Amino acid sequence: MEPTARPHRRRRPEERTAEGGRRLHSAGSAFVVALVALVLGAVLNAPGIHKSAAGQPQGWKRDLALRLSGPLANVSHALLLDEPRRGLKAALGRSGDDVIDTAVAVPPTSDVKPQTPVSVPPRRTRFSPSHPLRLWTVGDSLVIVPGESLLRAVAGNRAIDASSKVDGRIATGLERPDVFNWFTDVRNKMRSKDRPGAVVAMFGGNDDHDFMTGLPPGEEIGPFGSPSWTAEYRRRVRTIMDLVTRNGAYLVWIGLPISDDAGQTARFDTINSIVQKEAARRPGRVSYLDTYFYFAGDDGGYAEYIPDSAGRLVKMRADDGVHFERPAGDLIAQGVLHRLGQRFDLTSWRLSAGR
Amino acid sequence: MLFPTATFAIFFVVVLPLSWLLMPRGERWRPFIIAASYVFYSAWDWRFVFLLAFSTVWNQLFARAIYARTNVAQRKLLLALAVAGDVALLGYFKYYDFFVSSTHNVFTLVGLDVPLSIRSIVLPVGISFFTFMAISYVVDTYRGDWQPVSFGKFAAYLSFFPHLVAGPIVRPGELLPQFETPRDPRYVDTARAFFLIGTGLFKKVVIANYLASAIVDPVFGAPNQHSSLETLVGIYGYAVQIYADFSGYTDMAIGFALLLGFRFPQNFDSPYAAVSIQDFWRRWHMTLSRWLRDYVYIPLGGNRGSRLFTYRNLMLTMLIGGLWHGAGWTFVAWGAIHGSALVAERWWRDRPGYVERPLTGLRRAWHRFLTFQIVCFAWIFFRADSFADARDVIVRLFTAWGQASPLVTGGALLAIAVGIGSQYLPPRFPLMVMARFSRLPVPAQAVVLSFGLLLANAMGPEGVAPFIYFRF
Repeated sequence: MEPTARPHRRRRPEERTAEGGRRLHSAGSAFVVALVALVLGAVLNAPGIHKSAAGQPQGWKRDLALRLSGPLANVSHALLLDEPRRGLKAALGRSGDDVIDTAVAVPPTSDVKPQTPVSVPPRRTRFSPSHPLRLWTVGDSLVIVPGESLLRAVAGNRAIDASSKVDGRIATGLERPDVFNWFTDVRNKMRSKDRPGAVVAMFGGNDDHDFMTGLPPGEEIGPFGSPSWTAEYRRRVRTIMDLVTRNGAYLVWIGLPISDDAGQTARFDTINSIVQKEAARRPGRVSYLDTYFYFAGDDGGYAEYIPDSAGRLVKMRADDGVHFERPAGDLIAQGVLHRLGQRFDLTSWRLSAGR
Repeated sequence: MLFPTATFAIFFVVVLPLSWLLMPRGERWRPFIIAASYVFYSAWDWRFVFLLAFSTVWNQLFARAIYARTNVAQRKLLLALAVAGDVALLGYFKYYDFFVSSTHNVFTLVGLDVPLSIRSIVLPVGISFFTFMAISYVVDTYRGDWQPVSFGKFAAYLSFFPHLVAGPIVRPGELLPQFETPRDPRYVDTARAFFLIGTGLFKKVVIANYLASAIVDPVFGAPNQHSSLETLVGIYGYAVQIYADFSGYTDMAIGFALLLGFRFPQNFDSPYAAVSIQDFWRRWHMTLSRWLRDYVYIPLGGNRGSRLFTYRNLMLTMLIGGLWHGAGWTFVAWGAIHGSALVAERWWRDRPGYVERPLTGLRRAWHRFLTFQIVCFAWIFFRADSFADARDVIVRLFTAWGQASPLVTGGALLAIAVGIGSQYLPPRFPLMVMARFSRLPVPAQAVVLSFGLLLANAMGPEGVAPFIYFRF
């Protein structure tokens, strides 16, 4: 009897291995593994993905990302699949990483310390190595280079206790507390036991947009520069200034520089004018440092290279046309030090030390 | 488009199956992969895709013209024109402002006011990498090692997205033959690919980014603010950061290429376990080292001459290698330190009566230690913004012992220990891990990888810092 014919079956490819005995897989299985790992990885990381989605620039990409990441975070939470991430963050001491905090922490009246009357110029406070001025540099990515220059410049002065790090955070600002909440951060710092006596701040480099989060309930704002946008941004600038000064610290606010994009420079001017006006309302407590002409070329426009006092061309601005190179940071740091010197006596201790 | 982003993940999940589906028909696969690579590249700035296209056309035309001629003088002339064009393109975008400002400052020093205009040119991402690959193609054609392929194949070779922006620098002979025959979809080295992608992601997102913010950036940002201990840990931290950053990127690049069915050459081989500077350059950015050897050192004469001639060639090669990394004199100094060390090693070996003895035990450990210190010393110049900063770092290293060192945390030390310690793992260890992973069922592999994504995403800082080598 002849064997019955079996139906034709697709043969599995013979197994092949590579160095070390690892098995080779099909492209199909590579795709399945990659896809499933990405989906499962997204569910496990859903709280972080949702926060990243919320922190994106306004537009359809953000809307889409939020529509996808919101339900993903809910599913992840319902199935307890966000627990491993939560536990890992807690173990790293970073439990707050995934929290979206948009509150603009306006200082309540109880926080307010007795203020110096505006009409009386404040006394030039004296500091010394035994009683140093604690300095904190804070802001968006633009503050990093000038902040480092400032740290270098004050390194030899023991009357200044500068933190060893510049608190500059990329892609942050006052418009988007959901990306990073500076209001909460500044408030916490000003309430901490290592509260600074002087704060050097630079904000606004990422704030030249229409979109803001953390608006008061029911409030809407118009486009960048509109009266409603200006009023809300002014409130935020005022909040930072008050959080710093009502806790007794002096604030030097570095203005935004000229950029290689004329439109952006105009928008920076709008932000600068708000800051400048608010600073002017707080004489002796807030000083606004205008950087525009530090970096304007011979024609008054943007210049990447600027001649120094010896006529040598020095690269002042980074290739992106906004950020600073080290010599620019040094220039700004000198300006900041001058302002600090007007408000504080940081040098006379040397005279008494030398006696 | 950066590898460790959701945008790239979506891009790759679309490209991967389409690439395999189109693979059997090269004439369909090539336009697809070129288009995908151009989309990948245009994510930074769409205008620069024209630069990539220009480089493709320029080098293909010259390669064909060189191949078509038998007259040696004509071939040489065409080669010189092709390479000059490539170098001019690179020079214009990468070095124009640097040379103009340097020239202006030299004239100013001698009291001459020569009007030279700065152009504020934006550096196109990856230009150094694809230009070097294009030069390889033309030179190999000239040398007869290679004959020009079709325009589509060359365009796919030059723009293939896994290597496009930060290498590895893949030679024509390594990639183009793989374009000739469709890859076999039944046998893909997925375990190695996922291992490289996973470890690369961890190195970049967790180790490199953490070290940068925790200690390296503060120390190099304001060197005179920090204690000697912080400075020392900051320097070691940078050594690990740049290794984790760059090798992490190229590991991912090799892994993504593998998933598409293509093999790239290895780019790093435990460089901090090197026993000499020569050994270091056999392990660090290996594809650049080979490129410099074959297209700079050997054409300069290599070691085919007197000792002094060889030393000169070594030095020149390393100076060019330094300048390739960035338009700044600190990079040249970095190259000079490596060049000097290579010359010193060569001189030591060239001494009459020198006998090479195998390195074992303590002698091996001592050589490794010494090599690592020289490499770290050179990194100071590589990382510092200026010579003044480099000087401050070095001075601080010796003058501020005993001061408080708040930046030297357990986390920073652990990250450095992991970064260096991983290079001393026996080679069979990753092979064993990959083999075990490959034996897991497909769903289990996905679960393991997803937990890898969880670790990298949760442990890494928020946001994605740019890769160091993107600006080179």
